[in-house]
Amino acid sequence: MAEILFYVLSAVALLGALGVILARSPMGSVLSLLGSFFALAVIYLLAGFQFLAAAQILVYAGAVLVLFLFVIMLLNLGQLGTRFQLSLAPLAGPRARLAVTVAVALGLVGLIVAQGAAFGAPPPVGDAGLDPLPELALGLFGRYSLPFQAISLLLLATMVAVVVLAKRQRKEDGR
Amino acid sequence: MGIVQRKDLSLAERLYLPEVVRGLSITFRKMFEKPMTRQYPEEPLPKTEVTRGQPRLVVKDDGNVACVSCGMCEAACPAYAITIDGGETERPIEREPVRFEIDMLRCILCGFCEEACPKDAIFMSDELELADSSRGALVYDLEMLKRPKAALQKRIDYVYRLNQRWRKSSSTS
Amino acid sequence: MEALLIAVAKVVVIFAGMVTIAGLMSLAERKVSAWMQYRHGPNRVGPFGILQPLADGLKFIFKEELVPEGANRLMFRLAPALAAMPAMLTMAVIPVGGTVVIAGREIPLSMTDIDIGVLFLLSMSGLSVYGVILGGWASNSKYSLLGGLRASAQMISYELTLILTILAVVLLSGSLDLRAIVAAQQHVGQWNIWYQPLAFVLFTITMFAETNRHPFDFAECEPELVGGFHTEYSSMRFALYFLGEYCAMTVLSCLAATLFLGGPSVPFWPAAPWYVGVLSLLAKAGFFLYLFLWVRWTLPRLRFDQLMRLGWKVFLPLALLNLLATGAVVAFTHGAQ
Repeated sequence: MAEILFYVLSAVALLGALGVILARSPMGSVLSLLGSFFALAVIYLLAGFQFLAAAQILVYAGAVLVLFLFVIMLLNLGQLGTRFQLSLAPLAGPRARLAVTVAVALGLVGLIVAQGAAFGAPPPVGDAGLDPLPELALGLFGRYSLPFQAISLLLLATMVAVVVLAKRQRKEDGR
Repeated sequence: MGIVQRKDLSLAERLYLPEVVRGLSITFRKMFEKPMTRQYPEEPLPKTEVTRGQPRLVVKDDGNVACVSCGMCEAACPAYAITIDGGETERPIEREPVRFEIDMLRCILCGFCEEACPKDAIFMSDELELADSSRGALVYDLEMLKRPKAALQKRIDYVYRLNQRWRKSSSTS
Repeated sequence: MEALLIAVAKVVVIFAGMVTIAGLMSLAERKVSAWMQYRHGPNRVGPFGILQPLADGLKFIFKEELVPEGANRLMFRLAPALAAMPAMLTMAVIPVGGTVVIAGREIPLSMTDIDIGVLFLLSMSGLSVYGVILGGWASNSKYSLLGGLRASAQMISYELTLILTILAVVLLSGSLDLRAIVAAQQHVGQWNIWYQPLAFVLFTITMFAETNRHPFDFAECEPELVGGFHTEYSSMRFALYFLGEYCAMTVLSCLAATLFLGGPSVPFWPAAPWYVGVLSLLAKAGFFLYLFLWVRWTLPRLRFDQLMRLGWKVFLPLALLNLLATGAVVAFTHGAQ
């Protein structure tokens, strides 16, 4: 039962992630992302991480995505209309390929940093259903505080990269 | 025109919360006061002698309508709401209405018919309610318009008193 | 099997209770507004108009349902449900009473008891903004869009304060479990309102902003935006938005009672039977529900920039300071032990 649910949810999460890239309207992207986040949250629940699931919904679905929505609504998207459509165009252009490459590289670097900084074995997972909340807090702010900082650095780098990419495109459009 | 003096707000006023509580206390007190509105169908509107409702025809004490179907009200009606067909009668007045209809959907309750009538036959009653589910039912015929004189007496007296001053001025000139 | 039956029974009872309260709130809103303005209010359907919500519901069902041209049909249809659902889900973790013993079984009076009840509640309340934004966006109407925009900006701003004030309470109780928070304030002297007066005031005010109620109802500000995000809605979908709003009010009132006023504990009567506890919670929540109406018919609406200034420049720093102070006190007192 749980296994079937896991595969279904994984499929939903992956499809949602694909939808983010392929949707033509930014609104469709955001909604796909929302579905993906929810599937992930339920997967966390299945694995017994209640806190992680709640935090996932609280932070990503409840705050970050709402911010995305807010920005998208402020942009002038009149020409795109309100219909949802899929398009393969974003995967084509050279800039997109570059962006994908950079993202993958950054992700790999992040993984390596996190792995290298995590001294020794992964933390013991508490009994399924129980929430190792104090353990999580101690780990996050004590033992793994270096990878935690590294991830925030990675996020910052990603943000800068996105700004740079978006800026250049705008200049070309303006010409 | 006065000059508005900008008042410096005190600290309590700038904090806003005490003022909110003050406002809340006012609305709370008002909650227990007697409602001012009227529960209309159960508590009808008070009818005074100046109440000008729908026009009705006077039935004299001998049981006949006072109307002689002269057509004055028909002509005076700005909304063309009145339709009269006259006929002969054996009574000394020789004429009486055969058909007298007022389309209450057209009637604007202006009271011109009352003013125009030379025989004191039509008066504005104190009947105000007007509702039905079909248009045809709101075209009132002779039978529906008849009212005994006593029912309209208050209005008749009022109109006579109102017209008194014209009578006086015409006699002096 | 028996456990499943009990769970279903609890869901049905609590859900029906909440929807009933929401329906009665729609009546209470009109009644209270009428009384405050020297009027009678609805009094035709049933004694004192008590059946008015039922009549309204019937009317909504029979109304024509319109979808504006150019609207995103999927989202347009989904949005009202998205608006109503989180509020109803939140009720699942609120303990409405202690434990009842029926036929030798101990039944805790809440749909579920999860360790991270507060977090679940916060994440659900964070989701409630989606119904409003998506409804506003999918309608393909400028008023709806503006209403949705305002709602999103407002809810993000005030959710921070809401979370921070709740965190102060959580710090005091040392648990994210709502039942533990209730257990920590069994006596009137232990109520969190005495220890966290600032958090209580901030929470109460933020409650209004979170539910888009007066004086912070910019999302549906009538004089500027027609109806705001629900301008284009009709029929049951329109009603669903209001059901969601009233449910959110009910849940937040219960939450305020739970966090600051001891929830279902009865003042000066620790050994009260369970039904008195439920009544006690209802009375406490009822006060907050009444406060919603009371404020609505008293205060004028703020300006949007005032709302934002209040949220970011006043409430957020205050809530942060409060959390800092609470944290310091808790750290020192616990460190001494």
